Amino acid sequence: MPWNPGDDLVAVQRGPEPGGLGGAYRVLGETLRGLKTSFGRVVEGTTTIEYPEQKTPVYPRFRGRHRLHTFEDTGLEKCVGCSLCAAACPADCIRVVAAENDPIDRVSGGERYAAVYEINMSRCIFCGYCEMACPFDAITMGHDYELADYNRSDLIFTKEMLLQEPPVRTPLRAEGE
Amino acid sequence: MPRPEINEITFVVDGREVVAPAGTMLADAAKLGDVDIPVFCYEPKLGQPVGACRMCLVEVEGIPKLQTACSTPVRDGMVVNTETPRVKAAQESVVEFLLLNHPLDCPVCDKGGECPLQDISYGWGRGTSRTVEPKRHFEKPVELSPLIAIDRERCILCYRCVRFSQEVSEDYQLILHERGADTFVGTFDGHPYVAPFSGNIIELCPVGALTSQAYRFRARPWDIEQSGSVCTLCPGQCNVSYTVRDDRVMRVLSRQNDAVDDGWLCDRGRFAYQSSYVDDRVTEPLLRDGGVLRPVSWERALAEAARLLGKTPAGLGALAGGATSNEEGWLLRRLHADVLGSRDFDSRSGASGPAVSAGLLAALDTPEAQATVPDVEWAHSVLVLDSEPVDDMPILDLRIRKGVRRHGMRLAVATSRPSSLDSIAEQAVRFAPGAGEAFVCALDAAVGGIGDVAGLAAAAGADAAQVEALGRMLREAGEDVVIVWGERLTHGANPDNAARALLKVAGRLSLLDDHAGAGLLQVPSGANGRGLREIGLLPTAGPGYREPAAVGRSAQEIAQATIAGQITGLHLLHVDPVQSFPERGLWEQALHAGAVVAHAQFLTDGLREHANVVFPAEAGAEKEGTVTHPDGRLQRLRPAVARPDGARPTWQVLSQLIAAVGGQATALTSMMVTSEIAEAVPFYAGITHDEIGGFGVRWQEREAAAAFPAGETGPFALEDPRPAASPNGALRLGRFRSVWASPEVAHAPALKFLAPKQRAELNPDDAQERGIRHGQQVTVTATGEDGSAETIAAVAHLRAAAPRGSVFLESGLGAESVDVLDAALVHVNSDPARPA
Repeated sequence: MPWNPGDDLVAVQRGPEPGGLGGAYRVLGETLRGLKTSFGRVVEGTTTIEYPEQKTPVYPRFRGRHRLHTFEDTGLEKCVGCSLCAAACPADCIRVVAAENDPIDRVSGGERYAAVYEINMSRCIFCGYCEMACPFDAITMGHDYELADYNRSDLIFTKEMLLQEPPVRTPLRAEGE
Repeated sequence: MPRPEINEITFVVDGREVVAPAGTMLADAAKLGDVDIPVFCYEPKLGQPVGACRMCLVEVEGIPKLQTACSTPVRDGMVVNTETPRVKAAQESVVEFLLLNHPLDCPVCDKGGECPLQDISYGWGRGTSRTVEPKRHFEKPVELSPLIAIDRERCILCYRCVRFSQEVSEDYQLILHERGADTFVGTFDGHPYVAPFSGNIIELCPVGALTSQAYRFRARPWDIEQSGSVCTLCPGQCNVSYTVRDDRVMRVLSRQNDAVDDGWLCDRGRFAYQSSYVDDRVTEPLLRDGGVLRPVSWERALAEAARLLGKTPAGLGALAGGATSNEEGWLLRRLHADVLGSRDFDSRSGASGPAVSAGLLAALDTPEAQATVPDVEWAHSVLVLDSEPVDDMPILDLRIRKGVRRHGMRLAVATSRPSSLDSIAEQAVRFAPGAGEAFVCALDAAVGGIGDVAGLAAAAGADAAQVEALGRMLREAGEDVVIVWGERLTHGANPDNAARALLKVAGRLSLLDDHAGAGLLQVPSGANGRGLREIGLLPTAGPGYREPAAVGRSAQEIAQATIAGQITGLHLLHVDPVQSFPERGLWEQALHAGAVVAHAQFLTDGLREHANVVFPAEAGAEKEGTVTHPDGRLQRLRPAVARPDGARPTWQVLSQLIAAVGGQATALTSMMVTSEIAEAVPFYAGITHDEIGGFGVRWQEREAAAAFPAGETGPFALEDPRPAASPNGALRLGRFRSVWASPEVAHAPALKFLAPKQRAELNPDDAQERGIRHGQQVTVTATGEDGSAETIAAVAHLRAAAPRGSVFLESGLGAESVDVLDAALVHVNSDPARPA
């Protein structure tokens, strides 16, 4: 026995049937309406840029790729391997293994230095807590945001990579820009 | 003194009524009301408080000035305030004062993150500093010992380390130099602080002044995990906590268990973990191929081991070392007794004679006669018999010292070698090396007041008047007497007689009836000696001290039978008999004669030369299973880190061996072996890992203890003991094994400097007769029965306390060990090749 829907039956309201002369006319009208908006904006000029030939300038406070610093006068690393950045990191992407300085061939200013300092960039959320936690201003967030790579292991940045002056490729936003 | 009765009192802290035991210090009692009073110098483990840091000042109503909560005992009706403005101001001032000279180098300090000074500065300090003056400066960091670095700038002069050295370990080495702000911790003449328990001061230090050299800059508290287990390096079985970073043990901390270790740890337990990360550790199965041990696959090694053990027409022998867990011992026993039908296995490390019979073992280990470790501290008197606790079971040494110092316990020491406890002992009696049996017979006569004390004492090489005095002291000291006796007492030629004599002494002092606080406590020669005995890994006893159908061969007989060709296969579990048994020459021949299958962490002398198959064994932190403490406490080993790549757990290897020789391997997990043991040993019935838990459970306190078999009961008739050899121009040879003589110490980089060198301890008069001076090179020569002479070189070490007519040499040292000499008498001469 077929099912009787009873009072639940709802009639579907249908629009005009597609096709035919009326349909073609409607389509043309809607297309022209859209194009009006497009051509209306042409006079305003372009807002997109030609990335990667051109880059968006960033604010000075922008938090991009990290940098480890050295003292300008002595060349010693500022990082003493205290691991506070690793403790502060909410993404758990920093790994520090400390070691003791050799007094003859010092690496850092303090008693200890970071023998291993790694940041897993694929996990980093660029929150800047590591920078805030650092008692020696040894780690700061730079401006570079072009970090894409072809495999994950290349995204683990080592101490040597972080200590190097990164190629300047990110323009800073000028005053009032 | 017996434990005092504890009354409860009620006092008020910060408006809360709190019930606390009378006499508790306020700092502890306040915790019962959830009130935290900050402390630096206060540590109940160290005994009496000193009130040095002033951090714990509180206001007590009725007393006008602020009081130190650490040294004020609570009284009934006391009203204490810890949060008034006066207290707050005092706490802030004290923190500020302590920080005056404390450098703020927390980022480089190893203590940072687990530092009480940091925590208390945050919790109770002002938050800002008003200091503008320069701080005190010291050279930093300085080596206090090869194990400990001291940074004197960070020290807040809480006295904890000094009190530990002076009042707990009693090595009296650490002191405070200078006065006022110039004060610093050091040893009196600047020598390194080397002592068996020195590492504890690292854990005691409330700031980063004392740090571990081995752990220096290795990890931060947020990088690590703690993993609780039990140390299996000696019978003390201290509870430890492994600090793990990146699946690697970084340090070992004590895990306080008052019934076992009182919160202390010896340096061997603390630093030997390093030996599991050295290159010469065995990490894969090795097979002798063309005379050289080469790595092979597990399948090949198992097949080869099964061939060597399974298809031998003649006998098989098995030995288990001290570090063997109950599970491994059980599977070894199953493999040999049930599958291969051999009864020749032994687990008594370093024993030369036959084993004590099952009935006497049961009589000695009966729950009624068992003393616990805390009993040692609270007894009226303690007799240390033929054992050197600091070498055999180091943690017991601290317990004995605590009893004497804090509870007025009376101590007597009866050993052949001068003991480190002599200075605090009321009676120190010496007997001839190896004459333990005769000495206990003499002691029995002295305690009982009947028999020929003089004759027996002479046989033991002891002074009769001293033995009489010792007997009198034990009789009259009080009802709680604990006899701490070393297993080596029963390693002689007639162990049953020694055991009977000991039981007679215990009976006369009424230690054998069910009287808590008194009894016998054995110091086994292997770390898990008691557990292996109870699961029946002895030639004379089955599981649960059952009488075996036939008595098997003891270790020495196994060696002799192997040389004679009656035994063709030897199975060595965590033991190298060449290193740990007295007759080195005999064992070398035996290992050479038989096919050897071994489970080992390191290739020690005997294994390197003679083993046919070596399976890698786990290090302590990698092990799973249970062990039994000398007082019957079952404790659980939990793996803290993974095994090296490719290694398999030893219980699994044994299980696979059982299958490979055609037996039925029933155990799929270590826990299943535990339940097999619980079924086989009646007084372990129903024990599970859950019940053992983190702090262990004494089987004597469980219901199943009623199933303990009745041992031999008296009256015991004693045979005439064999008299000690008369020197007759020569010297009696005594052997001792230092706490540092172990492969773990030899391999741990931090401990290597402690590895002992052979020395001949003798009396200055004996030395003078032979023209030997202190520190001189000497040769020690023993002439065997067949006229062959063995000689070892040693450095003369003159000790006024050494008895005349004896010389003591160290065992467990490899080729220069005293184990090379197989005689009771030796000649000591100055080395002609190297004159003084």
